[in-house]
Amino acid sequence: MTIKGVSYPVATLQEYGYRDYSKFKAVVKVLKTVLFFSILFMLYLSIIVIAIQSINASRISSSFSSISLTWYPNIFQEEDLMRAIRNTFLVSSIATILATIMGTFFAVGMYSLTKKKRQGLMLLNNVPILNADIVTGFSLMLMFRLLMPLFPNIFGLFTLVMAHLFFTIPYVILSVMPKLKETDPNLMDAALDLGVRPYKALIKVVIPAIKAGIFSGMLLALTMSIDDFVISYFNTGGGFDNLSIWIYAVIGRRNLTPSVYAFSTLLTLFTLIGLMVYQFLQRQKKGRKSGIL
Amino acid sequence: MGKSFKILAIPYQVWLSVLVFIPLVAMVVISVTNLNSTVTLSELQFTMEHWVLLTQRPTLIAFRNSLIYAGSTTLISFVLGYFVAYQIFRLRIKNKFIVLTIVILPMWSNLILRTEALLNIFSENNILKSIMGFSLFGNIAGTPTAVLIGLVFTYMPFMILPIYTALEKIDYALEEAALDLGLTPMQSFWKVVFPLSFRGVVTGSILVFLPTMAGFAIPKILSKGRIIFIGNIIDTKFIYTNYNSGALLAVILLIFILGSILLMTRFDKEGETLL
Repeated sequence: MTIKGVSYPVATLQEYGYRDYSKFKAVVKVLKTVLFFSILFMLYLSIIVIAIQSINASRISSSFSSISLTWYPNIFQEEDLMRAIRNTFLVSSIATILATIMGTFFAVGMYSLTKKKRQGLMLLNNVPILNADIVTGFSLMLMFRLLMPLFPNIFGLFTLVMAHLFFTIPYVILSVMPKLKETDPNLMDAALDLGVRPYKALIKVVIPAIKAGIFSGMLLALTMSIDDFVISYFNTGGGFDNLSIWIYAVIGRRNLTPSVYAFSTLLTLFTLIGLMVYQFLQRQKKGRKSGIL
Repeated sequence: MGKSFKILAIPYQVWLSVLVFIPLVAMVVISVTNLNSTVTLSELQFTMEHWVLLTQRPTLIAFRNSLIYAGSTTLISFVLGYFVAYQIFRLRIKNKFIVLTIVILPMWSNLILRTEALLNIFSENNILKSIMGFSLFGNIAGTPTAVLIGLVFTYMPFMILPIYTALEKIDYALEEAALDLGLTPMQSFWKVVFPLSFRGVVTGSILVFLPTMAGFAIPKILSKGRIIFIGNIIDTKFIYTNYNSGALLAVILLIFILGSILLMTRFDKEGETLL
C-alpha cells in the first residue's frame, strides 16, 4: 500500500526490538548435541574398549594386532574363568528367583499395612539399598563369623546367597509397590465376593495385575546380583569366587586372559538382544490390543 | 486389599531386623571392645584402643580423599547427568524402557572389568592409540584425574535415572501455564521444572555420593594404589583380619550414610524416585 512518489524509511525488525537469536540458538543446539553424545560415549567407553580387546588377536591388551575370534571359544578352555562364571550364575540365579518370590509376597504384606507402618518398613527397606556396600558387606561378614563356631564352613555359597538376598529383595519390593498402588482395590473384593479364597485370589488376580512390576524387580535383582563385587568380596570363602572377585584378584597379578573380555562382550550382546526382543514383543502385544479396540 | 495379607509383612520385618540390626550391633560392639576370634566372652572388655586409628595421618588423609572425591564426583555427575536426563526428557520419547536401557546397559557389564578397561585406556600405550594413532587421554593412569573420570562415568547412571523419573512426573500443564503467564523458557525451567525435579536430584546425589565415598575398587585400580580412600583402609584391615579397626571405620562411614538417608527421606518419603 505504498503511495507513488512518497518514500519514507521503513522500520526494520531490529528497530522494533527484535533480536535475531536463530544463529545463536543453532550454535547452542550443536553444542548440546555434541556434549550429549560425548557423555554417552564416555558412559560406553569401557564397554567399547572391552569389545575391541575381545577381538584382538594379541594377548597384550595395549596393542591391537589383528581381528580374531579365538578368545571366544577359548572361554571354555579357561578353567578358572569358567568356574568363576559358573559360581556367578549359580549365586545370582538362586538369589534372583528367591528374591523375586519373597519380595513379591513381602510387598503384598506391606501394602496391607497401615500407611504409617508401611512408611516405617519402607524406610528400613531402603537401608540395604542406601547403605554403602562396604558397610553392608563388612557387617554381614561379622554376623556370619559369629555363626562360625556352630557352622565352621559357613562362608561360601550359603553366605553369598544370603547376602545377595539381603540387597536384592528391597529392589523387588520397590518395583512391585507402585504397581500394587495402581491396581484397582475393587479387584480383590470382587474376587472375594465371587467366593475365591484370599490366597487363591492373590495368585489368580493380584499377581497377574502386578506382573510388570514383578518382572522389572526381577531384572533389577539380577542386575545387582550379577555385578556385585564389594558385598560378595567380604562374604565369600572356601575359594568360592564369583567373576568380580576373580577379576579383582587377577588384575593384581597382571595376567588377565582376553577371554574375560570375550565373555563380557557376549553378555552385553545377549542383554541387548534380550531387551530388544522383549521390547518387540511388548509392541506386538500393544498393537494387538489396540487392534481389538 | 484386605487386611488378610498383613501377615505376609511379618517375615520381612523379622528378616530386616535380623539382617540390619544384628550385623550393625555386632559391628558397633566389635569397634569398642577387644572381641576377636581368640578372646572368649569372659575376657571381653570395653576398650577404645582401636580409636587411636582415627587420629593417625593416613586415616585422616583417607577420610579427606573419600569426601573430596565423592563431593566432586557428585557435583560433576549432577551437572552432566541433569543435562543428559533433561535432553532425554525433552526428546519426549514415549517409551521409558528404551531410555532406561540406554542408560543402564553399561551397568550390566562387570564393574571391575570396566574399571580395568579404563585403566588400559588411561595408560601411555593403549589399544585405542594403536588403532587410531593418537591417545584420547594421554598417560593419566594413576593420577587423580583418572580416578575422577572413572568415578563420574561409572556412577552417573545413578544420577540420570532418578532425575529422569522426577522430570517425567512433572505435569506438562504446569510448564504451559508458566509460559502462558509470561515466563521465558529459561525462567520457567528455573522456577517450575527444576524445583519440581529437585527430589530426583537429591536421590541421585545420594546414590552417587555414598558408593563413591565408601568405594575402594575404582580408586585402587585407577590410581594404581596411590590414592587411598577410607574403603581401602577397611579392605586392608579385613585382609589382615583386624576386624576391630575395620568395624570402627565402617561405623564412621555408617554415620555419614544415616545422615544422608535422613536427608533423603525429607524429600522423598517412600523412596519413589529410587527406581
